[in-house]
Amino acid sequence: MSQPHRLAAGGHVDRTRRVSFTFDGRRYEGHPGDTLASALLANGVRLVGRSFKYHRPRGIFSAGVEEPNALVELRDGARREPNTRATVVELFDGLAATSQNRRGSLAFDWMAVNGLLAPWLGAGFYYKTFMWPAAYWERVYEPLIRKAAGLGRASGLPDPDRYEAAHAHCDVLVVGAGAAGLAAARAAGATGARVILAEQDALPGGDLLNEPGLEPWRTEALAALAAMPEVTIMPRTTVFGFYDQGVLGAVERVADHLPEPPPHTPRQRSWTIRAREVVLATGAHERLIAFPGNDRPGVMLAGAARSYARRFGVRAGENVALFATHDGAYDAAFALAEAGARIAAIIDPRPDSPAMQRAREAGFAVRAGSVVSATVGGTALRGIELRAAGGSGRGDAVAADLLMISGGWNPAVHLASMSGAALAWDEGLQAFVPGPPAQRERSAGACRGVHGIGAAAADGAAAGRAAAIAAGFAAAPDIALPDAPAPDHRPHPLWEVRGRGKAFVDIQDDVTADDIRLAHREGFSHIEHAKRYTTHAMGTDQGKTGGIVGAAVLAEARGEPLAKVGLPRFRPYTSPIAWGAMAGEGVGAHFQPTRRTSLHAVHEAAGAVWMDAGIWKRPAYYPKREDADAWASVLREARAVRERVGICDVSTLGKIAVEGPDAAIFLDRVYANTFSTLPVGRARYGLMLREDGIVFDDGTTSRIGPDRFFVTTTTAQAGPVMQHLEFHLASVWPELDVSLASITDQWAGIAIAGPKAREVIAGVVSGLDLSNEAFPFMAVADCMAAGVPARLFRISFSGELAYEIAMPAGYAAHVWQAAMAAGAPHGIEPYGMEALGLLRIEKGHVAGSELNGQTTAQDLGLGRMLKKKGDFIGRVLAQRPGLTDPSRPRLVGLRSLDPRRQIRAGCHLLLPGGDGSSQGWITSATQSVVDPGWIGLGLLRDGEARIGSEMLAANPLMGEEVPVKVISPHMHDPENLRVRA
Amino acid sequence: MLRIPCPHCGPRDEAEFSYRGDATVTRPGPEDGIEAFHGYLYERRNPRGWQVEWWQHGAGCRAFLKVLRHTVTHEIRAVATATEALEVPEA
Amino acid sequence: MSAPEPTHPLAAVATPGRHGAAGDAPLRVTLPRRDLVQVMARRGREEALARAMQDTFGMAPPAAGRSATGRDASAVWIQPGAWMLTAPRGAEGALAARAAAAFAGLAAVEDQSHGRTTIIVSGPAARAVLARGCRIDLHPRAFGPGRAAGTQIAHVSCLVHQVDDAPSFELTVFSTLAEPFFHWLLEAGASHGVVIA
Repeated sequence: MSQPHRLAAGGHVDRTRRVSFTFDGRRYEGHPGDTLASALLANGVRLVGRSFKYHRPRGIFSAGVEEPNALVELRDGARREPNTRATVVELFDGLAATSQNRRGSLAFDWMAVNGLLAPWLGAGFYYKTFMWPAAYWERVYEPLIRKAAGLGRASGLPDPDRYEAAHAHCDVLVVGAGAAGLAAARAAGATGARVILAEQDALPGGDLLNEPGLEPWRTEALAALAAMPEVTIMPRTTVFGFYDQGVLGAVERVADHLPEPPPHTPRQRSWTIRAREVVLATGAHERLIAFPGNDRPGVMLAGAARSYARRFGVRAGENVALFATHDGAYDAAFALAEAGARIAAIIDPRPDSPAMQRAREAGFAVRAGSVVSATVGGTALRGIELRAAGGSGRGDAVAADLLMISGGWNPAVHLASMSGAALAWDEGLQAFVPGPPAQRERSAGACRGVHGIGAAAADGAAAGRAAAIAAGFAAAPDIALPDAPAPDHRPHPLWEVRGRGKAFVDIQDDVTADDIRLAHREGFSHIEHAKRYTTHAMGTDQGKTGGIVGAAVLAEARGEPLAKVGLPRFRPYTSPIAWGAMAGEGVGAHFQPTRRTSLHAVHEAAGAVWMDAGIWKRPAYYPKREDADAWASVLREARAVRERVGICDVSTLGKIAVEGPDAAIFLDRVYANTFSTLPVGRARYGLMLREDGIVFDDGTTSRIGPDRFFVTTTTAQAGPVMQHLEFHLASVWPELDVSLASITDQWAGIAIAGPKAREVIAGVVSGLDLSNEAFPFMAVADCMAAGVPARLFRISFSGELAYEIAMPAGYAAHVWQAAMAAGAPHGIEPYGMEALGLLRIEKGHVAGSELNGQTTAQDLGLGRMLKKKGDFIGRVLAQRPGLTDPSRPRLVGLRSLDPRRQIRAGCHLLLPGGDGSSQGWITSATQSVVDPGWIGLGLLRDGEARIGSEMLAANPLMGEEVPVKVISPHMHDPENLRVRA
Repeated sequence: MLRIPCPHCGPRDEAEFSYRGDATVTRPGPEDGIEAFHGYLYERRNPRGWQVEWWQHGAGCRAFLKVLRHTVTHEIRAVATATEALEVPEA
Repeated sequence: MSAPEPTHPLAAVATPGRHGAAGDAPLRVTLPRRDLVQVMARRGREEALARAMQDTFGMAPPAAGRSATGRDASAVWIQPGAWMLTAPRGAEGALAARAAAAFAGLAAVEDQSHGRTTIIVSGPAARAVLARGCRIDLHPRAFGPGRAAGTQIAHVSCLVHQVDDAPSFELTVFSTLAEPFFHWLLEAGASHGVVIA
């Protein structure tokens, strides 16, 4: 028979439609409106998983996000998702779910032998056992533990679905759409405030969904909210974190309830919500009681059983017992009786109460002053054992297939606590409730201990109205509230029934009351220590049902009140959140933007091989068919520059316009050398230090006008240099009248270098006398290039006669093509980053590998650039003894003695026949075109004194030791004749 | 995740800003010597409580701002422009 | 040699037509040709600069978070004491030259016509699409025509300027980052559908 435990009527499921699904390969049917858990219960499936550590059989324990047991894998293939709580999974046609953490079948799990080993598997077992030898951790112990313990399996395949990020703003955010939340949103919405009502469930209503008599109020409230244009209801949206200044994080499960997302629809959307005021109406989670065997399938929270009966029309048991410590739980017994179940017994440690009276009047067997001391059964509950409260030993047995338990209710204070509110102890409710707010938030309803739909709705309406007024809106007329009696949720403080067998305080993590006591005995008595030592409340449910029970056991062991022991700190996330949602669309190509110069298409057409320079794409080299390998291309390009002429895209260099009457003074202070003496129409190489005296950046700066400078930075430091300039202008020298503008994107740059560079430039540039006299090395002038306005610089990074043309970026391709045409008779070739690196190493120019955040100007042989007079950033601290120590590694050139033997950047430099201690290292290495063989730059202790000597370039990882000669870093044209030609 | 009220742009997400440390230190004069610069660069009060700190609204108006923030609660009590004074409260 | 038309930074990727889902209210995207000039007031010369801007362009420099429209150009506030002048594309450098002449001694002037790229998004879906990446509040109560804000969208600095109630927003980004920004925009708009003019 299909769905034998489904009631004929009632609830929020659509019995007119059937939904087919599988669990562990068996086919079942449910209805729209079901969760996977309610559908499984309707079909009589009680055993849904095996526990984390002991592989004990587990069933459905709750009806919501607090579920510790019913964790399943959903779907298969790339969409397989582990550790999904069956209690919140909306059923859809074709859903495939699999139980997890079992070896063999679910009913017979051979790892259940761990249960027999249990005396040795207590708290801290792994810490104590798998201690030695340390090397075994990664290779032996961890794989072993991972195999034995653990939860589901990730798919291991790329996630085929899309996720989105999104941002929202509102005057009032209401979290939770139960009675309190609906009333809060209505009251706030009525004032005209912008309201977001977020509800984790697909169906708004909370406990109203269990109250058929109040359905008209729920429906009316939803209709009223839908009619308010500034109110947004977000179902299937979990608010997982409350951050600072009213920022909250939420995940909207857009398509989780569908087999797969429709086209152009994300699976989930992660929201960052900024709220002026927040109303927390997050309700409460029912509390378990620790007693031996409280984890057996068939033991269920009382409120969950009530919800399965009333909301889902499912009878979770036929012969039902209730073990409760407060009157509020008794409605579950009535709900199950209405659903046709037999109430076998009600066990309550209290002597008497109004609810007990009513239960007796209804004919239920009430066992006042009693507790449940054990459960009986294998993979399903068959019965329970009772005894007198405060007694010991075994007592009566009662047959039951469902034991509903309730030790009271835990207000869902997670978000309030994250917002900074301290928690306060409520003696009547035996629970922690939010204390005074630290941010603009207020709690309403069950999450602050106000129970009952009528009371919660009134509390919510007041909170919503107050929040809207606090956000600046005028009060609106009162809204209609539901009329319902308040249940009495004040429990008798019974946390644990001691006896033989495991009494779990954390069912998901297999943490028992004994484990907590063990932690205390071993010195882990602080709640935060006990939590970490035992893993209590560390699972996907974060201790929603049993966290406080563990704290109570610890309090008893410490001999202190629970109020003093407290709860572990609440942190995001309130519920498990998929990684995909956290990443949003920031994956793949969207992980970070890719920056392209305006010449990108030109390089692409030239067949460039790309390399990443930060987020920029730059050509590494341009292979030709005849090149044997990448080196052949690089050497060919470099040779073209040395022998004829090459062309290179230098657009990525940072460019900053520094303008104003005080621009020259400012540059004198931020550069280690002087710019106020630079004539208009000239460029100068500049060295910038950090305040600590270490080299920060270098580049050429040109004086365009008396008060106008064109500053260039390295590609990597463009952003940091801009920030550095802005900071000092704003904070240190606010009196200087200087403006800064980033013009990196406005100006593209093309370098043309080589003995024939002047001829090529002459073919492109008009309006300038290019003779060496009129336009010497370091000259700068505005000009026309191929008919477009441009700026010509005679500067060189390669050590050859060279120019850079800067032009508005949209014209760069046009100018490049003109230069290629003008250069064709001279054998011009484009060169990429690799050849650029080769050329600068030959010339001894430092770059990123040498400007590594550890080197001083002296280290790099640039010490003479530091001006002797006047203040500049880094001047004072560069004089510290540690930075002026003559034995610091100094920049040297290196040449492999055997031209065929490669040297590599990162190699350490050792003394031949020495003790193997490092004397320095190679920072950059390449093959040379001027003197074939391997060369490099390095930082070497006593470097200058060692020029001419031999060292070993050691690469222990590759087992290499290459003899090298220490030479001057200026390997090519040290007199600079070529650049001045 | 802070929201910082930029005096020019209004409240904005922390992600638009970058932090630049204690705003109460003053760069010494060029003749003040290594010790003074050492103090300026490295020595910090690291208070448990109120601190005036530099934040640059880099993704917005690029202004460097002084922010009075509580290092425990993250409460932001005041924000000033770079040239305005912002006192650190006693408690 | 005559000056060619500059290459638009999105020439390779902005294919006219419909992208993403078919819907009744797609996001409309246009790529206007604009001249942009960054104007930064000299210390203490803000009032004189305001007069010069009024005289030359027929508008006062807008306050923080605002834009102003003049005779043949508009201005958007970008930083304390700094504005972006914009006008339909004219002769290369002409707007910058005009501004430099008008503001001589009052402001630093930098042509950014090539350095920044403007994308206009328009239609009822515009707010929802922008909310996928834009952290600032574009609700009519918080923003509106004539309002502007510098912010960051999809890791890219972006000047958001609302021009009408359609609503239409001008999004101005660094040109070398325009392409990844545009790809983000297409993806963000896919569920509404995007029509590129």
